[in-house]
Amino acid sequence: MENMIYILFICMFVPLLLSLPLIQKASRSVMIFILIGISSALFISEVNGILLQLLGYNTLFVTTNITPATEEITKALPILVYAFVITDNRDKLLTASFAVGIGFALFENTYILVNSVENVSIEWAIIRGFSTALMHGICTAAVGYGMSFVKKKTKLFYCGTFSLLMLAIIYHGIFNMLVQSETLKCFGFLLPASTYIPLIIVLVVSMKNKKKKEKAAKQKKAAVE
Amino acid sequence: MYLIANIIVCVCALIGFIFGGIKFFRPRQALYAQMITLSLGCIAFGRLFTIVSLLTGGNIINNVQIGFLGMIGSLMFFFSSNFGTVDSLLDDRSKAFLKYRLIAFAAPVAVIVMYVLLFLMSDISILWKIQGGVLALFALPASYFNLKHLIFPDVDFGVVRCLRPYNLLALIYTAAIFTECYAMSRDNEVLTLVCCCITGIITVAMMPLIVRGNKKWRT
Repeated sequence: MENMIYILFICMFVPLLLSLPLIQKASRSVMIFILIGISSALFISEVNGILLQLLGYNTLFVTTNITPATEEITKALPILVYAFVITDNRDKLLTASFAVGIGFALFENTYILVNSVENVSIEWAIIRGFSTALMHGICTAAVGYGMSFVKKKTKLFYCGTFSLLMLAIIYHGIFNMLVQSETLKCFGFLLPASTYIPLIIVLVVSMKNKKKKEKAAKQKKAAVE
Repeated sequence: MYLIANIIVCVCALIGFIFGGIKFFRPRQALYAQMITLSLGCIAFGRLFTIVSLLTGGNIINNVQIGFLGMIGSLMFFFSSNFGTVDSLLDDRSKAFLKYRLIAFAAPVAVIVMYVLLFLMSDISILWKIQGGVLALFALPASYFNLKHLIFPDVDFGVVRCLRPYNLLALIYTAAIFTECYAMSRDNEVLTLVCCCITGIITVAMMPLIVRGNKKWRT
């Protein structure tokens, strides 16, 4: 069906946009970045279509070598603006960039689902839901981490962010190549989880350590008093 | 042969990346070490892309592929580890250090000479000439700071002495990947394997040297 991508975009974007005034302030910024992610996915689908046409409809080459670069750059741009104009707080940037990635994955998954509705199943949804969302989230969050140096260490920001973008593009390319291969498909679905789980473990351990330190400091202060 | 060569580098870089991640991705750890860890991650993922590409029937000789970005990313991380974190501690831009700054230009000059001799003047495809040019472009600043910090006198903090082994390895790494690109442009599998073995040894040795240097600096 013609214009399906725009129909999907309107169906997803408008209800979320209308919910913005009703959402609490802390959650609102996350929702805004999810909306930005959805819009980025729509924009890049047009760009990728043109690139596919220019490169003679070589889908495998374009999806493994070109689209990872275009998609990662597009997802990074709103975070770059956010880091420059609003805040360079690392936690906020990581949340925002992960939300952009999730919004992007949400729209991409829905579009693929609509396009190949005969071939999808519950397994497809579970695998695709976990792997794509995590992959896009992780890639954008990695670039967002580099952008947190925008005001603190300018020298590090430029080259560090560029290098992290390279890393994100390669990671995205590996994922795209794995999920499209016949024999290595399962590794593609495992790749984002194998990156996400250690990250979560590190995050939980560091939060626990922080809480322990805070508790010890409080006890020390109380003992002195 | 290309598959084996890339697996060697990928495994070695992955070992270094995981080791560095465990050692340095904690609060209050040296930022330059985190940059070097990420550069090893870039190498590992770049090679992983090439491995997957080879396993799925891709052509890494005649086609451009984003695994190449791993090399560029690693050079950029090497550059940012020196330029973004350590350089301002060492070089106060005074005239006393001018000669070291000038001598350090020998590394970028060597990169340019290598590029002209190995890529521009040889009868290889235009794709490899461009890839070699892009690699040279990113190797210029990275090699400049690597050589600069290799020869720079240890003035205040004792940082330079601790980082010398790393900078030496980074320079060898730059030469090795450059030669590897040349070997691949000529479809020379043996030379590619040799270069990859050197790169593998460097990537696996880099992190223990950084850990040792970091300990020395702090004690």
